[in-house]
Amino acid sequence: MMESFFNVLPTWLVFSPLLGVVALLLIPGKKAGWLKAAGLFGTLPPLVLSLLLYGRFDPAAKGVQFEQSILWFQIPLPQSPPWEITFHLGADGLSLPLTVMATLVSALAACASLPIRKRQKEYFLLFLFLEMGMLGVFLARNLFLFFLFFEMTLITLYFLIGIWGYVDREKAANRFLLYNGLGSAFLLLGVIGLFVLFQSLDYNRLQELANDPQTRRMLSGGPVSPIVWGIFLCFVLAFGIKLPVFPFHTWMLKVHTEASPAVVMIHSGVLLKMGAYGLIRFGVELFPDQVRASAVLLAVLGLINILYGAVLAFVQEDLKRVLAYSSVSHMGIILFGIAALNAPGLTGAVFQAVSHGFISALLFFFIGSLYERTGTTRIGELGGLARQAPVLTGIFLAGGMALLGLPGMSGFISEFLAFLGLFQKQPGLAAAGTLGLVLAAVYTLRAVLKTGFGPLAEHLSKTVDTRPSEALPMLTLLACIILIGVWPNVLGEPMQTTLQTIVSRIGG
Amino acid sequence: MVANAWIIPLFPLIAFLILLAGRNAFSQNTAAWVGSVAALLSLGSSAAVLMERLGGSDSLAGLEWLSFGETTIRFGIEVNQLNALMLLIVSGVSFLVQVYSAGYMKGDGRVSVFYAYLGLFTFSMLGLVISPNLLQLYLFWELVGVCSFLLIGFWYFKPEAKRAAKKAFIVTRIGDIGLFIAVILTFIHAGSFELAQVFDAVKAGEIPPGTVTLIALLIFVGAVGKSGQFPLHTWLPDAMEGPTPVSALIHAATMVAAGVYLVARTFPVFEASPAAMNAVAWTGAFTAIFAASIGLVQNDIKRVLAYSTVSQLGYMMLALGSAGYAAGVFHLMTHAFFKALLFLAAGAVIVALHHEQDIRRMGGLWETHRTVGWFFLTGCLAISGIPPFAGFFSKDEILLAAFHDGRTGVFLVGVVTAFLTSFYMFRLFFLVFRGERRMEAKKVGPVPRVMIWPMGILALLSVLGGFVEYPGHGLSRWLSEGSGIVPAAEGEASFLVPLFSTVVSLTGIVLAWAMYDNKSLPRDFFSRPLPWTWRLLHRKYYVDEAYGKVIVTPYGWLGHFLAGFDRYIVGGAVRAVVKGVLLTGALVTGIQNGQAQTYALVSVIGLVLLIVGLTAGRLFG
Repeated sequence: MMESFFNVLPTWLVFSPLLGVVALLLIPGKKAGWLKAAGLFGTLPPLVLSLLLYGRFDPAAKGVQFEQSILWFQIPLPQSPPWEITFHLGADGLSLPLTVMATLVSALAACASLPIRKRQKEYFLLFLFLEMGMLGVFLARNLFLFFLFFEMTLITLYFLIGIWGYVDREKAANRFLLYNGLGSAFLLLGVIGLFVLFQSLDYNRLQELANDPQTRRMLSGGPVSPIVWGIFLCFVLAFGIKLPVFPFHTWMLKVHTEASPAVVMIHSGVLLKMGAYGLIRFGVELFPDQVRASAVLLAVLGLINILYGAVLAFVQEDLKRVLAYSSVSHMGIILFGIAALNAPGLTGAVFQAVSHGFISALLFFFIGSLYERTGTTRIGELGGLARQAPVLTGIFLAGGMALLGLPGMSGFISEFLAFLGLFQKQPGLAAAGTLGLVLAAVYTLRAVLKTGFGPLAEHLSKTVDTRPSEALPMLTLLACIILIGVWPNVLGEPMQTTLQTIVSRIGG
Repeated sequence: MVANAWIIPLFPLIAFLILLAGRNAFSQNTAAWVGSVAALLSLGSSAAVLMERLGGSDSLAGLEWLSFGETTIRFGIEVNQLNALMLLIVSGVSFLVQVYSAGYMKGDGRVSVFYAYLGLFTFSMLGLVISPNLLQLYLFWELVGVCSFLLIGFWYFKPEAKRAAKKAFIVTRIGDIGLFIAVILTFIHAGSFELAQVFDAVKAGEIPPGTVTLIALLIFVGAVGKSGQFPLHTWLPDAMEGPTPVSALIHAATMVAAGVYLVARTFPVFEASPAAMNAVAWTGAFTAIFAASIGLVQNDIKRVLAYSTVSQLGYMMLALGSAGYAAGVFHLMTHAFFKALLFLAAGAVIVALHHEQDIRRMGGLWETHRTVGWFFLTGCLAISGIPPFAGFFSKDEILLAAFHDGRTGVFLVGVVTAFLTSFYMFRLFFLVFRGERRMEAKKVGPVPRVMIWPMGILALLSVLGGFVEYPGHGLSRWLSEGSGIVPAAEGEASFLVPLFSTVVSLTGIVLAWAMYDNKSLPRDFFSRPLPWTWRLLHRKYYVDEAYGKVIVTPYGWLGHFLAGFDRYIVGGAVRAVVKGVLLTGALVTGIQNGQAQTYALVSVIGLVLLIVGLTAGRLFG
C-alpha cells in the first residue's frame, strides 16, 4: 500500500494543489480570512510531497525514478500502428531540485500573498493552478503533457499579473502574453517537428532515439539536418524568450515592476527557470550535436546577458528594475553553464536555476514588505532604513550578498561551477564574464546601501520593522540559500547521476 | 589538539550567532563578554595547537562538500607552522581588540551587533588560515572581505562610512576576481584544489611554466586587493571611517594580513616563477615608498597610520618577492603587534579628545596621558625599526633578504622607505603628544582602564616580539622546516645592513624632532620650496580622482547610454517584430487583433498547427 503510493508520488504531487482548490471552492467568496488560509494551506501538500520525493529519491540510481506511464489517448491511423499519447510522469536529477524549489517558493509566495485585498478566491484558485502547472512542467515525461502544463502556467500567470498587479498591470500582462505566446508558438512548432521526426513525444523514447549513434549521424548530416536545426532553433527560441536571453528580455521588465511582489516571486523565482530547464531537457538532451556546434554562440549570449544586465541594473532608479536586470545578468550564468557542456558547467547551471529561484523570491518578498511600509521602491526616495527597520534592512543586505555571489551562500556555488566549466572550454569568454562578478557587487551595493544606509529620509521616520509573519518566510528562504552555500551537496548529490549521463552522451 | 583544530574558528562563529540572535536582549557588557570569551577560547586552543605544532604538518581530509562529475571537493583543515603561527596572531589580536572595544564602544546603541560582526570577522580569518585547499580558502577570503565591509560601514548612517564600505568591498572584489580565476585555473591544470597536490604538481613540472606564472600573478592580484597594494590601495585609507578597534583588527591581524598570508601560503607556486617573484618584489617596493610618501603629509591621525600600513604591507610583499619567506611572515607578525598597538593608542587619543582626529588640533597630550604616550612611542619606535624593538628585527631580515636577492633597486627603496617611515611616525608622535595643547582643557577626558591593558600587552609584544628570531634565526628555521621552501640565503650576513638601516631611521626621527618638537627647522622646510610636490602628496597622487574620471564616470555614461539603447532600440525592434508576427496571424485567420483575443489567437494558431502536424506526420511515416 505504502509502496504503491510512493511509486506514483509525482502524480500525487502534481495534482496535490487541487486539494486547496476544492477547499477554496467550498468557501464562500466573502470569507477573506478563510480563503487566505485555504490558499496558504493549499501549498503545503505539494511542499510535503516534494520533500518526500526528495527524501525517497536515490541519488545513485540511473535513469528516471518514480515513473508512472499510462496510455492516455491514441490517434488511430489507417495503415500504421496508432500514435499514442501517454500520461507519463517521473523525476530525475534535473527535475527534482527544481520541483522542490518550486513548491517551497510557492508556499512562501502564498505567505507574501496574504495582504491582497480583492477577489481572494480567484487569486488563490489561479495561484494553485499555477503551481500545478509548474509542477507538471518539471515532472512531465511526455512533451504533449509538458506543453499542456506549460500553457497552464501561461494562462494563470496572465490573469495573476493582469488583475492583481500595480497601475500598469494590464499592459504588463499583455506584453507578457505577447512574448510568451510567441514562445509557445515556437515550442509547439518544435514539438510537432519532433513528433514528425521521431513518431513519439515520450522523453525516454526521444532520448533513446536522439542519442542513438546511427540516428545521430543521420540527423546531423544529410538532408534532414536543416530540419533538425530548425526544430532545435524552435526550442532554443521558445526557452530563450522564457529565460530570457538578450534581446528578448524587455517583456519581463514590465512584469517585474507591475505584477504584485508575490506573483513576481513565482515568476522570477520559478517560471524563468522553466527556460533553463527546457534548454537542458530538450536542447541539450535531444540535440547533443546541435548544442555542441552552437556552444560558442550560447557562451557569447551568456556573456552579453551577464554584462548587459549588470550595467543596466546599475543605472535603474527603481529597485524592482534593478532586480529585473540582475535577473537578466544571472540567467547569463545559466547560459555559461550550459555552453560549457561538461559536468561542472551543467551542475552550475542547475545550481544557478535553484539558487536564483530562492534569491529572487527572497528579494521580491522584501520588495513587497518594503512597498507596504514606504509606498515606494524608488531608490531616490529611500535611505537610512536600517535605523527604523534593522531586521528588514538586514534581510535585504543578506539577500544582496547572496545576489552578488558571496561564498557561503548558494549563488557562489553556481557561479563558481559555471565558470569552472566554461574556463575549460572557452577561457576567453569566461574571463570576460568574471567582470560581471565585479559589476554585480557594484549594482547590488548601490541598491542595498542607498536603501538601508546613510541618513534616514524624513518621510520614512515612522517606518516599522518586520512582523514575524514576514520575517519567518524571508528567513526560511535565507536559510535555504545559506544551506546550499554551506553544504552544496544537499542539492548537488541528487542531480549528479542524471547530469553525468547527459555529459557522457554529449561526448567530446 | 591539532586534530581538533577545527574547533578554533568555531568559537567566534558561535559568538556571532548568539550575539545576532540576542542582540536586543544583551547589555553592552554581556555582549563584550560573549565576544571576548569566544576569542579567548580560540586563543587558548591556538596556543595549544602551536605548542604541539613544532615540526611537520597535519591535514585532515574532512567532509565531502561538493561533487560534480568525477570530482569531490572536501572541506578539511591543515595545521602547519605558518598557519599555527597565524592562528595565534589572529585570535590574540582579536581578543585584545575585543576587550579594548568594551571601553571604546561604550554608549553605542549597537554594541551587540558590533561584537557579532567582530566574531564573524575572526571566524572568517581563522577559517581562511586553517584551510587546506584553495576553494575553501577563497570562500573564507570573501567572507573576510564582507566582514570588513560590514565593520567599516558599521556607522551606516554616516555617508562617509557608507561610501568607504562600498569602496572597500568593490576594490577588493576586483582583486578577488584574480584569485577566483587563479583557483579555477589551478584546478584545471593541477586537477585539485588541495594545496599540497597543487605544490606537488608545480614541483613536478606538470604545469607549463607560462601557466604557473599566470596563476601566481592572478593569486597576487587577489593579494594586491586585500593587502592594499598599489594600484588597489585606495580603499584602505578610506576604511578609517570604521570604529578604531576595527581599524586595528583590519590592519593588524585580519583583512590586510590575508593578502600577505595568501602569498606566503602559496609560496611554492611563486618560487616556481621568477617573473611572478619579480612582480611581487617590485609591487611591494613601489607600494612601500609610494604610501610612505603620502603618509608624510596627511593630517588625520588614523590616515597616517593607514598609509603606514599600506607601506608596511609593501615591505612584506617586497620580502616575499625577494625569497625572504620567513622575513615576510616575521614582519607580518611584528607588524600585527605594533600596528594594533598604534591603532589602539590612537583610538585612546581619539576617545580622550572626544572623537577629534585632526593632528593639527592635538598636542601636549604627553602631560595628561603619559601611559598612552608611552604606548604610542613604543609603537613608533617599533615601526621605525629601532633596536631592540620588534620591528627592528623583522625589517632587518627583510632588508637582508632584499640585499642578498640581488635586486639593488628594491633594497634601496626599502632603505629610503625606512627613513620616510621613521620621519612620518615621529611627526605624528610629536604633533600629538608634544608641544602646546591646541584644544580646550575641558574637552580632554580620561581613557577607561579596560582600554589600557590590551595596549600594555601589545606594547610588551612590540618590545620583545622580535627576539623569537634570536638566537640563531629560530623563527625562520622553524617556519621553513618541512615546508620545502628554501630559506633565504644567510650568507655573510654583514652587520652593516642593520647598522645602516638603524642610522637611516634615526636620521628620520631626528629630522622630525627638529621640525615638529624642537622647531629648529621650520615646518614648511620642505613644502615651501616644493609646493607642487606637497600638493601631489597631499592629494595622494590624484589616484582617486583618476579612477573617478577614467572608470567611475564613464561607467555611469555607459549605463545611461545602454538604458536608452535597451528602451528604444531593443524594446522597439522586438516589439515591431512581435507586432508583425501577430498582424500576419491576424490577417491569416481574419480575426481582429484585440488585446483580449490575443491569447485565443495564439491558442487557435497552435491548435491548427497541431492538427496540421499530426496529419502531415503521416506523409513522412
